[in-house]
Amino acid sequence: MNHRTPSVGTSTPRRGVDDLLTGRARYAADLDRPGQVHVRVVRSPLAHGRIAALDTAEALALPGVLAVYTADDLPDVRIPVRLPFAETAETPPLLQPPLARGTVRYVGEPVALVVAEDPYTAEDAAELVDVDIDDLDVAATMAAATAEGAPRLHESSPDNTVSTVSLRHGDVEAAFSRADVVVRERLTMHRHTAVPMETRGLLAEYEPATGLLTLWGGAKVKHFTRQALGAMLGLGPERVRVVEVHVGGGFGVRGEPYPEDFLVPFAAMRLGRPVKWTEDRAEHFVATNHAREQEHEWEIAATSDGRLLAFRDRAWCDQGAYVRSQGILPGLLPALHAAGPYRWEAFAVDSTGVLTNRTPTGTYRGPGMTEATFARERALDLLAAELGLDPAELRRRNLIPAAAMPFAFDAPEQPHVPPVRYESGDFPASFETLLDAAGYEALTRERQRLRRSGRLAGVGLAPYVEIGAVGPFEEAFVEAADDGTFTVRTGVSSLGQGVETVLAQIAADALSVPFEDVTVDFSDTTAVPMGFGAFASRSTLLAGNAIALAARDLLAKAAAEVGGDPGEVRFDRGTVRGPGGATAPAGRLPAGHGRFDKPHPGFSFGAALSLVTVDAATGAVRVLRHAVLHDVGRAVNPELVRGQLAGAASQGIGGALLEELVYDEQGQPLSTSFGDYLMPTAADLPEIDVFVVEYPTPTNPLGLKGAGESGMVGTPAAVANAVADALGAAARPVTRLPLTPGNVRELLRGTPSPQATTVHP
Amino acid sequence: MKPPPFAYARAAGVPEALALLRDAGEDAKILAGGQSLVPLMAYRLARPSHLVDIGRITTHRYVRGDGGGLRVGALVRHLELERATGLTGPWQALREAAGRIGHHPVRVRGTCGGSLAHADPSAELPVVAAALDASVTLQSADGTRTVPAADFFLAPFITALEPDEMLVEVAFPAPPPGLRSVFEEFQVHSGDFALASAAVAVALDGDGVATHVRVALGSVGPVPVRAREAEEALTGGRLTERAAAEAARLAASAAGAAAGSSAASGEVPGGGADFRRELVRTLVTRALDRLKEKS
Repeated sequence: MNHRTPSVGTSTPRRGVDDLLTGRARYAADLDRPGQVHVRVVRSPLAHGRIAALDTAEALALPGVLAVYTADDLPDVRIPVRLPFAETAETPPLLQPPLARGTVRYVGEPVALVVAEDPYTAEDAAELVDVDIDDLDVAATMAAATAEGAPRLHESSPDNTVSTVSLRHGDVEAAFSRADVVVRERLTMHRHTAVPMETRGLLAEYEPATGLLTLWGGAKVKHFTRQALGAMLGLGPERVRVVEVHVGGGFGVRGEPYPEDFLVPFAAMRLGRPVKWTEDRAEHFVATNHAREQEHEWEIAATSDGRLLAFRDRAWCDQGAYVRSQGILPGLLPALHAAGPYRWEAFAVDSTGVLTNRTPTGTYRGPGMTEATFARERALDLLAAELGLDPAELRRRNLIPAAAMPFAFDAPEQPHVPPVRYESGDFPASFETLLDAAGYEALTRERQRLRRSGRLAGVGLAPYVEIGAVGPFEEAFVEAADDGTFTVRTGVSSLGQGVETVLAQIAADALSVPFEDVTVDFSDTTAVPMGFGAFASRSTLLAGNAIALAARDLLAKAAAEVGGDPGEVRFDRGTVRGPGGATAPAGRLPAGHGRFDKPHPGFSFGAALSLVTVDAATGAVRVLRHAVLHDVGRAVNPELVRGQLAGAASQGIGGALLEELVYDEQGQPLSTSFGDYLMPTAADLPEIDVFVVEYPTPTNPLGLKGAGESGMVGTPAAVANAVADALGAAARPVTRLPLTPGNVRELLRGTPSPQATTVHP
Repeated sequence: MKPPPFAYARAAGVPEALALLRDAGEDAKILAGGQSLVPLMAYRLARPSHLVDIGRITTHRYVRGDGGGLRVGALVRHLELERATGLTGPWQALREAAGRIGHHPVRVRGTCGGSLAHADPSAELPVVAAALDASVTLQSADGTRTVPAADFFLAPFITALEPDEMLVEVAFPAPPPGLRSVFEEFQVHSGDFALASAAVAVALDGDGVATHVRVALGSVGPVPVRAREAEEALTGGRLTERAAAEAARLAASAAGAAAGSSAASGEVPGGGADFRRELVRTLVTRALDRLKEKS
């Protein structure tokens, strides 16, 4: 037997960082193909209107312009929904065409595509495309879209809604009738989204001789993109190859199929030349999925001793002008996360997707769960204040106990709705771990000290559950070579998570070979026949288990060659050795194959804790301490897990305090540069304390749970609760984000003038 | 975010720049640090026909005393002002303001003359120019003229500069005895445009009585706003907490009046007019507090 020290569980240095740090990494914009041309998307300047005329003659006449395409040049196709459970009977007519057909529905909607010899000419020519649009009334907000007599966005939806997800558990009316206390609040999460450092970018090349289309710059869900493009372009998926290159941030928005993912290869096929597109920052703010905009009417019934009985959550979730590739997820995911980690006797959730004349929405790291956690945890703090109970104590009394695991609410099963089932974990113990490790008592003492010195200071908490491990399955192949190395091929994606490192660790342990000898390859859809991609904190779990199975299969194949049991064979520098001394060249072995199926997603527990101060005079919020805890099941690479949690928490602080996509009443976006969309910098962030707990789940052999998004989920809620705590009972309650200085001053206005005016920050 | 076509020429010295500018016609623009102009071109909000690049001119990169006054060449970088240790006392506000412009990389390239000529209502240096009674020297191929700051800034992004003129210097007159100045600004986070700013200059006599007061405000109107009622209220008295509070209140109302006439207010995210007025009050209070503390 082998006595190699396991790699899983160690913080092996992350692979590929040298390329990132030295600038050798190549992103989509760095790629060039001989003879390539460039495209510029002409976008609607209006939020809603009918295209009366589209004149491309002047643009076509500009030297260097090769073509200008409009909807008339395209097949009548729509960008499809990626996940079966995110598709409903209502979604097909609401899907987005790659170029607007007759009607424009948001500022930034593609209406034409200009192809030119260089990107400057393409942009010059785009200005010359004359789009004559007859204004239609604009439904610029969810309130406007759902009002009486609102302008209708799509023929198929008379009330501007997509569909409503309803979850029912227990007897809600009975529980409310027994309540000693009921709190109600309307809570609003604002529109913001992922703004990765690298914008999107694509390069497509079509070889007429082979009929093969290659698309560089795919990410996240390459196999789905391949399938969708194969169908939309009439090629068949086997003739589409989607290649992943280095990625400067994904966070849920990069790599979904967008209109441009169709337009760029379409132009390449039409012109027979490689076509390149690099999204610019102004485009990113109107073209890439937005996220988060939701309103929740929350109502909680509780007993006077702080026992939660039931809740109602009526949610409206902005879908924007079309349903995009993530279907109804903007409305579905918050519904699945409303209950959170608490033992409710009953609840009723109704979550409706609303169509508005704004950029369509999709998922952003911690989608739906971040919004649901904000609404629920804010409402719980209002309840704690009503009951005069410490917020931590209120949670403590209601978390689902470990003995109840696996736990499921007895909500009736519905098609399209994954079951809310908590497979494993110890929520109360994990919560106590956060309170102890982050020093909840010490933080509350620090808060009192700050308050005595005239500062506004507050502490906020937010436990949550997070969906992950979304299937349906992932496959892997493991190949041995005669030089002693191993190649693992799988269909997930690298979006900067470090997944190439952790998957190699898993493979190395499963094969009992050194980590250094294992390479993971997922850059190309030709490497693996099928894959589902990098989302929902699933990659390590799904691909990791598939790799472990593929490694076992390879060992079995080796045993067939050299005799003995699979556990007895050993790889030794390119040779496989059996227990009886027989050997064979490793490169002769057929690839090991593994497939891990996960019919239902899993949920994992986490919590966030924040200490903030507020400058009463300016409304400026400072996060002094922020801690996040998550149960990852088993940390394959603890340092990488911590990095993921800290990064996500940083984005959560940005979302809570700064970032907002603002529109005016006419649906014009006002946040189209970094001068208007404020991103957190290192100067705005505290050191983030990260606590990883490990309660391995029995539902996969490696015991893994997701971790990639977890630092986000509780962060805005914890920061909001901390700010509310700092502002005190005299201020208006925190019911919407972001907590910019102006918004915080708004909440404080009318409260007694603080003496803190003269205290310097 | 690719600019439309433009012609480009680099000038080795001011005379060459002025000649190029005259020849290029009305739609030419001077390129100095490029920290405002280049992004505007990328967004196609500015479409100059020609760029006259003065970035490598070395003759106008000076900060020097002049009979008690101060002269700053147009091509002095913000970072140089920020690090100029001699800028204390009456010139403290200039140094502090320079340090609040954009992010560090912006301050490495951005120039003093460029900031003044760009005349962004939320810029820092125009506010300091107003508080310190500065004047700017404008030069063309035909000659040179000097314009007081109060007459230079006309509207957001519009100044008294003629198309063939270049701002070559800003001059601060010899200050009254005992003058000290400070700069306060509020940004949502570091590097942002200011939601409000205040440059305050006060000269106190031996008894601590204010003999000369300037309160200038930024980001609250189309051009830098002098809070004259606040200045008058402080002049002739001591900087008591009460006097400071009253002056801050008057400054806030001056900001409110300016905002009413301004298209600029509300353009910065999270910056409603009420909030800016509150900020002005806080900033002026803080500025006066600092000026009092050091006396």
